[in-house]
Amino acid sequence: MSFDEIYNTYWQKIFRLCMGYVNDFDWAQDITQETFLIVWQQLPKFRNEANISTWIFRIASNNCLRQIEKAKRIPKTALPYDVREETIESIEPKLKLLYQFIAELQETDRIIISLELENIKQAEIAAIVGLSEANIRVKIHRIKEKLTIKFKENEQ
Amino acid sequence: MNNNIDFNELWASQKTAKPNKAALMAELNKYKKTNLTKMIALNLVLVATALFVVYILWSNQAKLLTTKIGAVLIVLAIVIFVIANNKLIVGFKNISGAESNKAYLENLLAVKSKQLFMQTTVMNLYFILLPIGMVLCMYEYVRKMTLPGAIFAYTAFALWIAFNWFYLRPRQIKKQRNLLDGMIHKFQLINDQLIVD
Repeated sequence: MSFDEIYNTYWQKIFRLCMGYVNDFDWAQDITQETFLIVWQQLPKFRNEANISTWIFRIASNNCLRQIEKAKRIPKTALPYDVREETIESIEPKLKLLYQFIAELQETDRIIISLELENIKQAEIAAIVGLSEANIRVKIHRIKEKLTIKFKENEQ
Repeated sequence: MNNNIDFNELWASQKTAKPNKAALMAELNKYKKTNLTKMIALNLVLVATALFVVYILWSNQAKLLTTKIGAVLIVLAIVIFVIANNKLIVGFKNISGAESNKAYLENLLAVKSKQLFMQTTVMNLYFILLPIGMVLCMYEYVRKMTLPGAIFAYTAFALWIAFNWFYLRPRQIKKQRNLLDGMIHKFQLINDQLIVD
C-alpha cells in the first residue's frame, strides 16, 4: 500500500480516533498529522508482518497515549474566537455529547471504544491494544453500557 | 431517544476535511529538514568543543599541564552532557510506536525510568567535572596575580561553585525529576488500566 492510498483510506478514521481520545478538534488534527508523519517515516520499514490497518491504528493510538508529554497545549481561548465558535457549531449536538461522554472515560477505554465505533473487528482491537479478545469484548460491553446510561441521564 | 442509540452511525457522522496532499507533504518535508538541522547543530557543537581542546593543548598560551588537563575536563563535561542527551533520543528511537498499546506503555515506562537515572547521574558528573576543570584552568593565570588578587579570585570561584552545587544542581535535578516523575506516574496509571481484573 502506498502512502497515498494509506492517506486517502485512513485520514478520516485516524482523525476520529484522535478526536475520541482528546475531544478537541484542533488537537485531534495535530495528532492525526503527527501520526501520518510517523507512518510516512516508518512505511519503508513496514514488512507486512502485521495487518497494515493494525499497524496504523497502533501508531495512532500510541501517539494519543503519548500526548501526556505535551501537557502544555495552547489553551483554546488563545485561538481567535470566531474560529472556535464555527468548529463547535458544525458538530452535531448528539455527536458532541458522544465525544464528551467518551472523554470522561479512562484513556485506554477511549481508544477501545473509538476503535469499536470505527467498526474494527474485536480481534484486531485486541491486537492493537495488547489484551485478549475476551477482555476486549467485556470492556466494550461495559463501555457501551456506561455511554448508554450517560445518554439516558442526559435526556432527563 | 430510544434504548439502542446507534453509536456507530453517530460516530461515522464526524467528517473532517483532509488537508490537501501537497500541504501535508510540505509539512512532512519541513519536519525532515528541521531534524537534519538539529543533527548538524549537535555535531557542530561536538566538533567545536573538540577543536577547542586541540587549540588549548597546542596553543602557546597554556604553559602548564594543569591548564591542559583542566581544559580537557571542561570539554569532557560538555561532551558527556551532549552525548547523554543524544543517547536519550536514540533510546526513544528503539520504540517503534507500532507495538501494541500495552507493550508501548511498558517500553515508555522503561525508557522514562532510565532517563530519570541518566539525567541525575549525568547532571552530577557535569557539576563535578566542570568546576574541577575550571580550577585547574584558573591555576596558571591566578599564579601570576598578587596574593590578595589570588585570594579574591579563588574565593569568588569557591562561591560560584557552592552556588552551582548547592543551589543550581539540586534545582535542576529536582525540576527534571518532577517532570519525569509526573509523567511516569501518569503512564503508570494508564498502564494499570490494562491490567485485567
